Amino acid sequence: MAGAPRPRGPRGVPALIRYLLRRALQAVPLLLGIATLIFIVLHLAPGDPTALWFDPSIPPEVLERMRASMGLDRPLHVQYLSWLRAFLTGDFGYSFSQYRPVRDVLADALPNTLLLGGASLVVTFVAGGALGAFQAVRQYRRSDAVLTLAMLFLYSMPGFWLGLMLVLLVASGAVPGLDLPVSGMTSVDHDLLGPLGKVADVAAHLVLPTIALGLASAAGVARYARGEMLEVIRQDYVRTARAKGLPERVVILRHALRNALLPLISLLGLYLPVLFGGAVVIEVVFSWPGMGRLMYDGILARDYPLVMAASFLFGVLVLAGSLLADLLYAVADPRIRHV
Amino acid sequence: MNAPSSTSPRRPLPSARRRPGSLRRSAAPPALLAALLLAAAGCDAGRDAGDEAPPPTSWGRGGDGAAAEARPRVPEEERYGGTVVVAGPGDLLTMNPLIVADRPSLEHQIHLLHITLVAEGPGAEPLPRLAESWSFDARGDRVTFRLRDDVRWHDGHPVTARDVAFTWERAIDPAVPFANPAYFDAWEAAEVLDEHTIRFTVRPRAHLLYGWMRTAILPEHILGDVPPEELERHPFGTTEPVGAGPFRFLRRVPGDRWVFEANPDFPEALGGRPYVDRYVYRQIPDGAVAEAELKRGRVHLLLDVTPDAAARLAADTAVAVAGFAAPEYAFIAWNTRRPPLTDPAVRRALTLAIDREGIREVVRGPYGRVLAGPVGRWHPAFDSTLAPLPFAPDSARTLLAAAGWTDSDGDGIRDRDGRSFQFDLLHTPRDDWAQVAAIAQANLRDVGVEVSTRVREQAALVPLVTGPDRRFDAFLVGWVRDVMLDDRDMFACDRPTSPFQFTGWCRPELDALLDSLQLVVGPDVQARLVARYGRMVAEAQPYTFLYDVESVLARRRELRGVRPDARAAILGAAEWWLEPRARGDRAESRR
Repeated sequence: MAGAPRPRGPRGVPALIRYLLRRALQAVPLLLGIATLIFIVLHLAPGDPTALWFDPSIPPEVLERMRASMGLDRPLHVQYLSWLRAFLTGDFGYSFSQYRPVRDVLADALPNTLLLGGASLVVTFVAGGALGAFQAVRQYRRSDAVLTLAMLFLYSMPGFWLGLMLVLLVASGAVPGLDLPVSGMTSVDHDLLGPLGKVADVAAHLVLPTIALGLASAAGVARYARGEMLEVIRQDYVRTARAKGLPERVVILRHALRNALLPLISLLGLYLPVLFGGAVVIEVVFSWPGMGRLMYDGILARDYPLVMAASFLFGVLVLAGSLLADLLYAVADPRIRHV
Repeated sequence: MNAPSSTSPRRPLPSARRRPGSLRRSAAPPALLAALLLAAAGCDAGRDAGDEAPPPTSWGRGGDGAAAEARPRVPEEERYGGTVVVAGPGDLLTMNPLIVADRPSLEHQIHLLHITLVAEGPGAEPLPRLAESWSFDARGDRVTFRLRDDVRWHDGHPVTARDVAFTWERAIDPAVPFANPAYFDAWEAAEVLDEHTIRFTVRPRAHLLYGWMRTAILPEHILGDVPPEELERHPFGTTEPVGAGPFRFLRRVPGDRWVFEANPDFPEALGGRPYVDRYVYRQIPDGAVAEAELKRGRVHLLLDVTPDAAARLAADTAVAVAGFAAPEYAFIAWNTRRPPLTDPAVRRALTLAIDREGIREVVRGPYGRVLAGPVGRWHPAFDSTLAPLPFAPDSARTLLAAAGWTDSDGDGIRDRDGRSFQFDLLHTPRDDWAQVAAIAQANLRDVGVEVSTRVREQAALVPLVTGPDRRFDAFLVGWVRDVMLDDRDMFACDRPTSPFQFTGWCRPELDALLDSLQLVVGPDVQARLVARYGRMVAEAQPYTFLYDVESVLARRRELRGVRPDARAAILGAAEWWLEPRARGDRAESRR
């Protein structure tokens, strides 16, 4: 509202900034706790990275040398403190399984996962919101029942199964004209394409993994959206809009839907961990070179620095997503004020 | 979109391109000379490996056969161009030849990006490569290599004797985690005589030159200033590799692909420029997705195909499936420190009771054969006269009863002195191991032995079996072996703490034999020793040998010239070519 004074704290710091700072400070011990817990859990698991090389041609001395080079010959608490010190200075260490600095490994993979996660979020909320609203408008009709059944089915299906079914569907040619890539993030000729061609290429590769990752969550969002919509369309202001003689389409889309979907923003924080967790499996199925696959391979290879840094990054992303959801909710609903 | 084939420069074709698996005529005399010299010096070059070599690969299995090879012949000058896409379940870890890596990485180092001093012949005999000739002095303790002068690193520097000396110095440096120090344990000193001549002082050793077949040469001008302990972490292995082989490194997308392009400057005498313009290796972890990509023509060659997938793919007329001998076998290891597995008669009974032929049929189908001893068909000294123990449950029952194990309480499980005959069988979580374990469990139950199967992730299983207290009864595993065949860590009495001495079984006379195997250089004597070694192990049964493995490849039929064998799945990749219709559009994965 123009001219309205913004809420300020005792020293003139805007309330939103103070809120953000407080949340960031709260996140620090939480993230450190997460990292420490991961360190302990990883090291509690038996074996170490050299177990990957179960080969009598490789002499024990070479494996010992590798262990020493990885710092695994030191006591656990020394390893932890050393890792923590390096970590706090931004040194994520060296990936045993990738033979590269963890920072470089993550820098390659993180944008790919963010792209897939972002696209899936769009699918989750747009498709989920639209379907839920549609079901609410057609409550108890046959289409509502069919969609409810379909949503429950999708919600119950594991992501990898859905992914494999999509691959088989496309690869079998059962759907004429549906000739989408089923693995990787780019074509083998990607570097020969023009700028628009490259974007189209990545977009084409994004379609199936996005659907596989986002569809189950979309089914969940649809259930929420349906409930919210049903509540809203019974409100007085919707009745008033109808009484004014507005077309039903305008009543639903402009008056009811907008208000019904606002609470869904709060789901963003809930679905981010689900998406990142799902990415581990979906990235393996679709050969998507992202963080999920790194985590999967890193855990099997006992690549401690990589798994710890990747888990930490997932933690940061989830917390940041949750914070973003809170902020968006505040923006969307003026009644909410961060103090 | 431009097809890669249309943008690459064309060079005049080599007038006499070599046939796969052999060298050009011009290289033959030095090869022959070197072989004779080595034979005179008691070394392994020149061995007639014809009857011991792994059989030439047949593309006939799985419905391929003559149809594929009976296609119209494509003239040589029309074979150039296109991008070949190869896919495997794992990423290539490193292109640094001195860093511990998996087999696919090693194969791409040796056969694609880098060059080795000598090439590996079909019977593991050395053939000229970077070294166009070599000779031993009269006493056999010095070997002099004459290098080709037309091989260049992909950055334009010539490959010289200093690079060879540098590679050797780093390989034997204790600060470098080189996986196979045994390759160079008989190489004592190097002397660079001139830019293209190097002399080594050596001690007698079986397969003396084998290390130079399996270790690519490193560029001293790039890595010379890198401290040995930092070599492992240098980006040379992962993002900035420079080789001197038939393909140049172009690009890597970690976790996704490696892209190589044809090296137009690769010497004609070594085969010249590869036929294909680009070679792309893609990691596709999910087998079903990889199959789908092959069927759609977006992948031309699939590595490490499972027998189940091979059977499915063989039904596709556009795909050819074939197996080839791999240096790998599967076995059950018995902890002979723990009774009743201490008794060789009991271990023999267990082997007799397990239907290894049935296991092979279920797990490998046509891609494996029952194995009798520790040296499989891939090895030049394989003893074909050593027959596996038969599947004979009745004999097993007799042996167990003679050892005092009878079912005294009628519960179906044998017992002795109040103790039931039961034990745990460990294995890693793999479908094929689960099948093997289930069959073995049922077989042993039939003869009154109770087996509990326990699944452990590899990182968890390895400490159990290699740790000092060997906390296991039996475990099921498979591994890849080496032509050099140094099995002392597995069976030597003087290495009881070796991680791989998990069975605890040894014989002093076997120690001497295994030591001799490292020194004896004549192929006939080698074969005799290998035969004795195999019989001693087969007699004692510290392992129940299950089967040796044939690796399986599946390829699109439009990819021609693929001839893998025990040396490498991608052997002779520079000789592969795509039929004209498969170049460009069909080779690309975006439409």
